[in-house]
Order: sequence, then C-alpha cells, then structure tokens
Amino acid sequence: MNGAPLSGRRAVLAGVLVAMASSALGDVKDLARAIPNTVLAFAASGEDAVYDRKTLYDYMDGGAEVILAFDFKDVLVRKFKDPAGEEIDLDIYDMGSAAEAFGIFSCERQSGPAGIGQESEYGSGLLRFRQGRYFVSIMTPGDETKAGPAILALGKEVAARLGPPGAYPDLLRLLPERGLVKNRTSFFHDVVNLNNRFFIASENILFLNRTTDCALAEYPGPAGETVKLLLVRYPKDEDARAAHQSFLLAFLREADASGAARTENHTWTLARLQGTHLAIVFDAPTKAAAEALQSAIRFPIP
Amino acid sequence: MKAFMTRRDFLKGATVALAGASVGFGQNAPAPKAVSRVILIRHKDALDANSQFSEPVLRDMIDEAVMKLVDKSDPVAAFREIVNPDDVVGIKSNVWSFLPTPPQVEKALKSRVLDAGVKEENIGIDDHSVRTNPIFVKSTALINTRPLRTHYLAGISGCIKNYIMFGATQPEYHPDSCASLGSLFLLPQVKGKTRLCVLCALTPQFHGLGPHNFNRRYVWNYRGLIVGRDPVAVDTVGLRLIMAKRRKELGPAQELPPVPKHIQLADTKYGIGTSDLGKIELIRLGWAEDVMI
Repeated sequence: MNGAPLSGRRAVLAGVLVAMASSALGDVKDLARAIPNTVLAFAASGEDAVYDRKTLYDYMDGGAEVILAFDFKDVLVRKFKDPAGEEIDLDIYDMGSAAEAFGIFSCERQSGPAGIGQESEYGSGLLRFRQGRYFVSIMTPGDETKAGPAILALGKEVAARLGPPGAYPDLLRLLPERGLVKNRTSFFHDVVNLNNRFFIASENILFLNRTTDCALAEYPGPAGETVKLLLVRYPKDEDARAAHQSFLLAFLREADASGAARTENHTWTLARLQGTHLAIVFDAPTKAAAEALQSAIRFPIP
Repeated sequence: MKAFMTRRDFLKGATVALAGASVGFGQNAPAPKAVSRVILIRHKDALDANSQFSEPVLRDMIDEAVMKLVDKSDPVAAFREIVNPDDVVGIKSNVWSFLPTPPQVEKALKSRVLDAGVKEENIGIDDHSVRTNPIFVKSTALINTRPLRTHYLAGISGCIKNYIMFGATQPEYHPDSCASLGSLFLLPQVKGKTRLCVLCALTPQFHGLGPHNFNRRYVWNYRGLIVGRDPVAVDTVGLRLIMAKRRKELGPAQELPPVPKHIQLADTKYGIGTSDLGKIELIRLGWAEDVMI
C-alpha cells in the first residue's frame, strides 16, 4: 500500500533534482557533461567544440551573421558517427533568452513538427527545436534513412536536459490573433533574417539592426494566398518615423494619404506608424482588408 | 533605374534585367557582342546510380569544355592556352564539408596542368591556407574551382566568392550581402592570375536551411560544369541556373533572394569581368535534358 506514494515522492524528488540540475546549467560547456555520448548505433566522435560570438565564423560559412543577429552566446558542437561512417552533427546554441531562441528557430520553419522540446520541426535529416533559451540543430549530411532514428532519439535526450520552457517574445502579443498562422510567425531583429524570410528590398530600407524587434506574421488570404504583416518596434519614435519615410520613398512612393497603395500583383500594401511601432501589411486583397488587419494590432497604450 | 531591387521589381517581372541578364539569353536574342565565353557542359553519367562522381566522365567533360573554351581540338593543347610550363599554378578548391569540390575535378585539373608542362612541385591545391601556402604565395596562375550553391548572405557561392580565403578576414567581406567580394580579385596575391574557372554544377544547392544553410533536399543532380576564363561571367550563368531551379521548385517570389549583388558589382565596380548576359557567349555541350538555361 505504501509503494505507490513512495514512488510518487521519489518521482517528485527526481523531478526536483532534474530541475535543480537544469537551473544550474551555467553554459553550454556544462551541458556537454550532461549530453549522452552514444545514441543507438552512433557514438561521439572527436572532441567537443565550443564557439562564441568571436569564433563562430570559424565554424560556419555564411550562416554566422544570421545567428549573430540575435543575442547568441555560444554553441556546443558534438559530432557522432556510426560504424558505417554515417555522421550526425549536434549543435546546441545558447541564445541568451527564450525569445531569442524562438527567433532563430522561427526564421526558417519549413517542415512538420517532431514533438521534441517546446517547438520543433524535422525533415530530410534535419531536426531543429527550441527549449528555454536554447536552440538545437541535429542533422546528418549523409543518409537520412540511416541517421534519422538516432537524430530523433538524440533530440529527445538533449531536450530533457535543457531546463524549463521559456516565453514567446513579447512583441508577438501585439499581433492580431484572428486567422494568425501560428507556425509561420517569425521573430528577428536584422534585415538578413527578413530578406531570407520575406524579401522586401536589396537595401536596408527599414533601417533594421540589433536594436529593432520584428515580427513577421501570416494570415490567410483569398484563393490560398497569404497576407503578411510586418511589425517593427524601434527604440525611439524618431527611428520609426525615419523608417516609415524611407519605406514610402523606396517601396510605396504612390501611397495615398492613408499609407496604402495597390501594387503590381493587384494586392494592397499599407504602412502605418504608431509611436515606436511601424506596421506594414503586404498582399492584402483589398484596402479594407489591409486596414482591418492594421486596426486589429494591439498596440500598447502610450 | 534605381540602384537597388525591391519586391515590387519581382512583381513586375524585372528580375532578369536587374540581375544583369538580357531577355533571351542566347536563345532568341540577336547575336551579342560577346566578350566572355562560358561553356555549360553536362553528362548524364557524371554521377553513377549511387550519386558517386565518375572520374573518367568528369575528366572528359573538363577536356571538352576547355577545348571549346579556347578553340582547340586537343586537350593538352587547350590547357597550354591556359597555363605555361614555367607557371606556378594554384588550384583554388573548396573544402566546405557539406558540398566540397569533388576530388575527381581537382585531380583532372592537376593532371592536365601537368600535361601542359608545369612541374609537379609548382602545382598546389588548397582552400583555407591559400594565403600562406608557398605555391599560392609565389603563384603566377590560378585555377578557380568550387561547387555552385546558394549562400545566406551572398545569394550564391560561386567562383567570385571562392576567393574569400585570400582575404585577411572573411567577415570583412560579409557586410551588405557580401557586396565587396569582387575586390578580392584585385588583391596583389590574386590580381591578373585567374586563368580558368570551373564552377561545379554537378549537384548544385538551390536553397539553404538550418544553421549551416545546408539540407540535402535542396541539392539536385544537374550533372554539369560551368567553365570559363571570366569568374563574373561564369557566376552570372550559375546564378541563372539557380534562379531557374528556385523558380521551378519554390515559386517566382523566391526566385532570387537574397540578392547576389556581388556579381553585378564585381563587374560594374571592380571591373573583373562581365555580368551582362548580352556580352556572354554561352555554349551548351552534352546532355540537354532539363538544362533549364
């Protein structure tokens, strides 16, 4: 009769210990000791490596700026191999906060969820997920049919050691909820992320940088089309005003007094300011639809 | 015309002109005043059933392309138009782990440079150490070879970007979509030395995903090589291939971004070649199925 309650207490104690261990994780080097060295037929191969903001270029060709555009701290890299030489690459990125981890995860979502960590996706031998302030990538450059089960198993092991889940970026609370395609919402700061998600211009006409917060959201339009809402929060009102003027001049020169214009694909683009926020609707089927989406943004009351 | 491109230019269908191309591209256009010859050669058997590169087929493709490039009927004679026996030749390869220059291409190039009379001790193959590799330090000729792929910042990685290892630091060339990559060809170690560019479109990557910007789903077996003397012209043709594949697979809205402005600037700002398709003589050889450009 006492077995069940005792097991329950043990389970609670174990949970507390896991939580303590998680909260004690200082950086990715601490994580290295907690992550398993073997998974299915794969075993760790070579030394772990850690790269920080200064050395990330040594690890990446071209992708470093994309990660450095967030509050990235450092990344733990561990490689695994199976007896046949198939390889798995594990990267655990400490992004500094859950919002930043959401950001880097959100900018590239293309595959279906894998049910690992807070949010995840898996496809073609690449598992990406976020948990708390960590963003994790596990991939094989080789045969996904051979490495896939180990990738998913390793992902589950790693996610369990990354501590509690974290919050979404606060900017996302301003987005209109009705119709929001949640798994297409992305958060970022810099133009490099915007242009890879939704190309606007080859120059930085919105003056985006690490001090700006951006949310790009999608809403269903007619005939399978998508309406996009780009919401940018600038540090100061004058920064937002300058970006608004730049956008109108470079992109929407023929905008009417309300900031709207019909573009070449017969949809409407609308740009409006609200204090430090600049909101731009792209590809709305009508001007009224663009205005309706704009007016549904839950701007903070000054 | 404004100096930059917006989404609305895509909607107008103006991307071709803005990417430095001319409508028709050697198909229906009047004969251009070509300044740069580029060879696109493809072979169905460049990869076998297991997607392994065929060394003899690749060697033959390089021979045929270079012969056509310099109008010679013999491969050794053709390579003697590229290098001289007293040259010190650096073959600038690419070791990016996910999609490196195939060793079979490196081997074929080195073999023909040897056949052209260059001493073995005067030939080097390198990527990351080209700034300090003695062969590259004293080189009199460079051969530029790498795979064709998209790049998160530069739009595409081609023969122009392949020289980034000659720069003192790589990040120095990353700002503004890698706009200054063309300046690499004006560095003292490089200037005036590039004799041949072999852009490997055997398994090009047309889109990136993940922290390393690589996922095998976006790599396809095109089985081609793009060969020329002018790195800008070679990359311009490579860009058109990537654009065509992206348009087909990802749709018109994702045909081009991020904008590979460094190719046009390599022409208009740094003067190292031509990005104007009206001035590029594109010669297609070999397998024509799904050639796309």
